[in-house]
Amino acid sequence: MSAPGISEPTEAIARARAGDAEAWGQLYREYAPAIFRFCRRAMPTREDAEDATMEIFMKLKNKLSQYDTTRSFSAWLYKVAANHCWDILRRRKIRQDKETEDVESVPLEHPEPSQLEKLIEQRSGEEVRKALEKMGARARMALVMRYYSDMSYDEIADALGVRRAFVGVVLLRARHELRQALEGNTAVAAGGAS
Amino acid sequence: MSETEEKMKHLDEMTCLLYLERQLDRARGLEVSLHTQECENCRTLLRALERESRLLTRAMFEDNEPLPSRLAQFQQAAERSMQWIWGLAFGLAATGVYALYTQYIEPWQAQLQEAGFSGTNLLGLLIFQSPFWKGWQSMITVLEILAVATLGGLGVMFLRRRIRRGSALALVFASLCAALLAPAPASATEFRKGDRITIVKDEVVHSDLYVAGGQIRIAGTIEGDLVVAGGDVEVSGHVMGDMLSASGQVRMTGQVEGSIRGYAGNITLKGKVGRNVMTFGGDVNIDHDAVIAGSVTTGSGRLSLDGHVARDLLAFAGQSNISGDIGGSVKIRGGELNIDSSADIRGPVDFEGEKQPQVSSQAKLASPVHFVKHTRGPNYANPHYYVWQVIWMAGFILYGLVLYSLMPKFSQEAVKSAEQYGASAGLGVLVLFGVPIAACIACITVVGLFIGISTLFVWYAALYFAQIIVGTVVGQWLMGRTGELWPTVGRMAVGVVIVRVCTTIPDVGGWVKFVAILWGIGAISLAIFRRFQPVPATGVMIPPGAQPLPPTTTVGGPLPA
Repeated sequence: MSAPGISEPTEAIARARAGDAEAWGQLYREYAPAIFRFCRRAMPTREDAEDATMEIFMKLKNKLSQYDTTRSFSAWLYKVAANHCWDILRRRKIRQDKETEDVESVPLEHPEPSQLEKLIEQRSGEEVRKALEKMGARARMALVMRYYSDMSYDEIADALGVRRAFVGVVLLRARHELRQALEGNTAVAAGGAS
Repeated sequence: MSETEEKMKHLDEMTCLLYLERQLDRARGLEVSLHTQECENCRTLLRALERESRLLTRAMFEDNEPLPSRLAQFQQAAERSMQWIWGLAFGLAATGVYALYTQYIEPWQAQLQEAGFSGTNLLGLLIFQSPFWKGWQSMITVLEILAVATLGGLGVMFLRRRIRRGSALALVFASLCAALLAPAPASATEFRKGDRITIVKDEVVHSDLYVAGGQIRIAGTIEGDLVVAGGDVEVSGHVMGDMLSASGQVRMTGQVEGSIRGYAGNITLKGKVGRNVMTFGGDVNIDHDAVIAGSVTTGSGRLSLDGHVARDLLAFAGQSNISGDIGGSVKIRGGELNIDSSADIRGPVDFEGEKQPQVSSQAKLASPVHFVKHTRGPNYANPHYYVWQVIWMAGFILYGLVLYSLMPKFSQEAVKSAEQYGASAGLGVLVLFGVPIAACIACITVVGLFIGISTLFVWYAALYFAQIIVGTVVGQWLMGRTGELWPTVGRMAVGVVIVRVCTTIPDVGGWVKFVAILWGIGAISLAIFRRFQPVPATGVMIPPGAQPLPPTTTVGGPLPA
């Protein structure tokens, strides 16, 4: 998951682990913007995202010793961030919405492809971001983990506490919810069969 | 082929998504690939899903919000905070030394003084005499501001989780401003200070009077409260309100219609008190002529009661002599108790001390003195001791359970803070000794009593909470760390049992308890401190750094032809 052209900050991590405040500051400056953006997408409000970002980095100070240097630092960081954000959301019982329904009950219908394509073509990034804010916590979280931080199905399953086999269902359902938010409960979101 | 049959052959959306995301096994992936080569409808669906994925990724990355200023300055603030904590730790160490000095060395000094060696009361010397004394007036103001600021801080801490930060801050600071700008009470307050302050016999003060000085004589009439702090104080006049005192030596030969409260190295009451007396000091003498219409509560090295007390007496005193009359009950805990022949006590007398009370056969008592011999340390031979230990353990675990349920996040933060041993221990010394001293000082200021007593209650509860935090850390040492609530509670229970067992070890147990409290209370304080960090800053906003994390470039493979 390493960014092309950006090498892993191995030296800074080693120094930060040894208690070097400057190295820690370097890691913070380098990664805080991305983690803030992750939290901004995952959390319902900007202030929540700010709080979560600070908490993640405070947590990171203690967790840095657990980081396996043979793996991608950014991937590991996103995993920590995802776990933290989901933990906050879960505690707030935000998921006491329709997401608590059995994920297996999602209808696997064939949407009208051309209608779906049209909907996607007409929507801008800003509209999508606004729609994301209207979504339920788990659906939003799943989309952010997959399409922002490129987490694997295993990692998503681990963070959300669902079986791996259900991750696809969660993501599909999240897409349906997003379409509903974009379109306003139209047939596309419901998967209008052709 | 009918339309329905044709539809049945189309791929479902789930399969298409899993195919795009490369989650299908090879065989199923080939099937899908072959199907989409022939089916325009499914190919369109795949393309739409692929575009949807790209749209999502683009939407999440394209809005580059700048990093908020408080996040930009978070790192610097955190570094500064730790330096501040260590500064506090040194301050706390000094406070701890001071507390030990006043608690142990000062009584010895008083005894030396009684034995004829010259000297003066330490607290009076340090706080109420000469050069330092001149700053006392402004110190009262500083203490008031600190007390209000503390309340404000607590307000922010509680409100920030309930309402948005901006509105919480606005609300709290608006309230503080309103409180600070509120007009003074209708009854004005008069302040006087100097080396020698005298209110002559015919002088009448038509308000509350705050007096500070080396030698204070009140012979006139005070129509409000009298708040006095000085080296040598004599009140022979008439105080129509309460009298609050923090002085080296106090003699009250006049009349106080309200209550008398305060600290004095030596306090002698010869006059009339309309309500209650609550004093703490080296020597407390209630003279034969003294008449107290309420009750007496005192903590002193030596108590001599020869006057008249209409209601109860509660005393913690090294040596107590009672030769006056008491209308209510008597409860005394201390070293010795002597009840003289002239004593007249109309309620029950309970005494817990090291020596059998000496009671004159001519003393008038409603009932024989109930004596409980005070033994140092626990009685290990008594089975009740072990039953009570188990009850205490259960009580601690229950208390911990309640705290973890009410404040799960804060409790876990406190546990994490406890793992910073140096900072926790240092801060622990400051809070353990400094907070009660500050609270007692606050009690004698205007804002005083409520804040002081509330602080003492919170501090006392924190002493128990501290042991729970330490118990949790011990539990984590044994059973490993966890971030989940209930496993943490389980570790807390195990750890608390271990800590409590350790505190029962003869000779060492007391020190274990002391260290646990010191460590735990420091961790709690550190966690509270961190709750306030970082403060919202108004610094420069820094642009987001170079993108260190990769966007999700694409999901799934190339679309089938």
